[in-house]
Amino acid sequence: MVSRYHLKRALLSSGALWASMLLLLWLLAQLLVWQDKQIQQHEFSEFLGDIESMLEEHGFEHVLQEFELEDEVIWPEHEAHAHLADEGWLIAVFEQDKLLLGADTHLMTSPTPHWQTVSLGEEGNAELLTATVNLPGGLRIHYWQKRDELHTHKSEFYAQLMYWFALLSLPLMVAAITCFQVKHSRTLQALSEQLAQVAHSPDSKRTEVTTSNSDIITLSVAINRMLDEISRLHGNLKTMSVGIAHDLKTPLSRISNRLQSMYQDLDDPTRLEGHIDKASNELAQVINTFNNLVRLNAIESGKHIQGFKTFDLSALIDELAQSYLPVFEDSGRHFEVSIVPAVHCHGDKDLLGQLICNLLENALEHSQPNAHVWLRLQSHTQSALLQIGDDGPGIPVKDQAKVFDKFYRADISRGRPGNGLGLSIVRAICEVHQAQLCLLESQPGAVFNIEIPTRSVLSN
Amino acid sequence: MHILLVEDDPDTAEFICAGLAQHNAQVQHCDNAERAMLSASAHAFDVIIFDRLLPNMDGLDAVRILRASKVTTPIIMLTALSDTADRVAGLEAGADDYLVKPFAFAELYARLKALARRQPLRADTLELVIGELRLNRTSRKVLRAGQEIELMPKEYQILEYMMQNPEQLITKTMLLEQVWGFSFDPKTSLVQTHVSRLRNKLDKPFTFDMIKTIRGSGYLLTGATDG
Repeated sequence: MVSRYHLKRALLSSGALWASMLLLLWLLAQLLVWQDKQIQQHEFSEFLGDIESMLEEHGFEHVLQEFELEDEVIWPEHEAHAHLADEGWLIAVFEQDKLLLGADTHLMTSPTPHWQTVSLGEEGNAELLTATVNLPGGLRIHYWQKRDELHTHKSEFYAQLMYWFALLSLPLMVAAITCFQVKHSRTLQALSEQLAQVAHSPDSKRTEVTTSNSDIITLSVAINRMLDEISRLHGNLKTMSVGIAHDLKTPLSRISNRLQSMYQDLDDPTRLEGHIDKASNELAQVINTFNNLVRLNAIESGKHIQGFKTFDLSALIDELAQSYLPVFEDSGRHFEVSIVPAVHCHGDKDLLGQLICNLLENALEHSQPNAHVWLRLQSHTQSALLQIGDDGPGIPVKDQAKVFDKFYRADISRGRPGNGLGLSIVRAICEVHQAQLCLLESQPGAVFNIEIPTRSVLSN
Repeated sequence: MHILLVEDDPDTAEFICAGLAQHNAQVQHCDNAERAMLSASAHAFDVIIFDRLLPNMDGLDAVRILRASKVTTPIIMLTALSDTADRVAGLEAGADDYLVKPFAFAELYARLKALARRQPLRADTLELVIGELRLNRTSRKVLRAGQEIELMPKEYQILEYMMQNPEQLITKTMLLEQVWGFSFDPKTSLVQTHVSRLRNKLDKPFTFDMIKTIRGSGYLLTGATDG
């Protein structure tokens, strides 16, 4: 379908194209005509030179014979014009200011070869070349020559060509450009129709185009990529809202129960105190969830990056390991630490401290009491390699891709304390540090490998 | 204790005032920064509690102005912003402590006591003494009733902090901040484990416990016997 917009655009662009092509053709024709005139002018000069040398060698009589002119013949104005029209040339010989023979005319004369346009009555206009040859003894010859017929026809041919081109090309161009635009917009229209459908169910459909236009193909691919990202974010949002709802519902309903119990036990201070304690603990859990969300958001915003410094990662990890050693020992787990000293890295000390704490907490929470938990730090060419692992039950293969998602928990009942944000915070911290984080596959237990750049990636 | 409370939210202000009244503290309440700054420079307070988000002014700027006009009263900032960067900004502006809302009153009171008492203790104090417990800050030697106690670095740091704030509540968060420098709360019993190990060395071999647990709130170091 051709809309007004398309038609207007087609008219505008073909009009501009038409005008510029016409201008170009006209310039080209003018150039050719000018070139022709130049050649003719050159030939004319040569011819005048010949006459001069003929006069010198053979005398005036000979020249008159050459021109088949009778002595003392005078053509009045109308005869002169007729002669010019028939023969294509005209001559006038003067002695001082007296016309000896030739045309008695008012045609313009010029000392050097010169073009002029004159009206020859019924014959129409003619272009003349004129020049004057001065001879010794006060003799002067004026000579006019009409423009070559062939050249005149050429000019006319160019004019015709321009005329027909102007007449035929405009509609053709409008048609061609409209056609092109319609074809172009048909693909875009198909694309917008598909997008309208995608708006209803972003997860189900992707755009498809049948065109060889690489711009539109690139656009379609970009749209599909964007839709994938939107689907992912949409999924995240769903998981998050469900996660927040679950994480709040359980403690909040427990608090509600406690408040009801308080009414029942108003007379028993010991029981009352117990209820208050339990309710406070539940509330602390809710607040902790929100604090973690806020912190996660702050980490993801990347505002810590400005404060990045190079510091001794080995010392930080050693201190944390020493702090956690008694915690692991008391819980009956075996904690093995192996740290290569003086490994430095570029980042935020507080965030990397939390990263290590969260992974150690994770190992503590998800491994059996007699498990073996280890923490290793080594250096690599441009990075520090950190591994925190345990030989516990590990993470089921189907859940491995999701462990870093917000509020994701393999334990769906949410019976255990804590929220599903610990590993999301770990991932966010890795991302701001441009560190590689991976959960090793086909390995008993859960083993996390982290590669932290030792130098500022940004300054490189 | 004489306290200036700068807080625009009436509920929070009432909650804090009621809590402080129970501890016999004198409270003056201001709900805007301008009046608070006038009061702070006109009267001598032990501690100022400053809310971060006040009408017309960021509490942070108010604290900066107070510090610039040579008001040295310890200041604790209250805020709903829990991020490390905000915390650092608060401390850099001249606040002495930073507490994130919502908080338990016990936590606030413990910090107030710690701040009010901080002044007499000098950084170059070489020996801390509480009852029969002595801690030498140069040799890092700890003696109870003349008997040397070997402590791990973190246990020493916990004890040193407790001895700087004796007879008052020290919360888990205070220890995480002061001893570990954490601005986040690890899930597990990091603090409990270390305090429990410290107790095993400090209290178990002796006649009475110096470190008391305040249920649901934290710990308290005392030099006096239970009787």
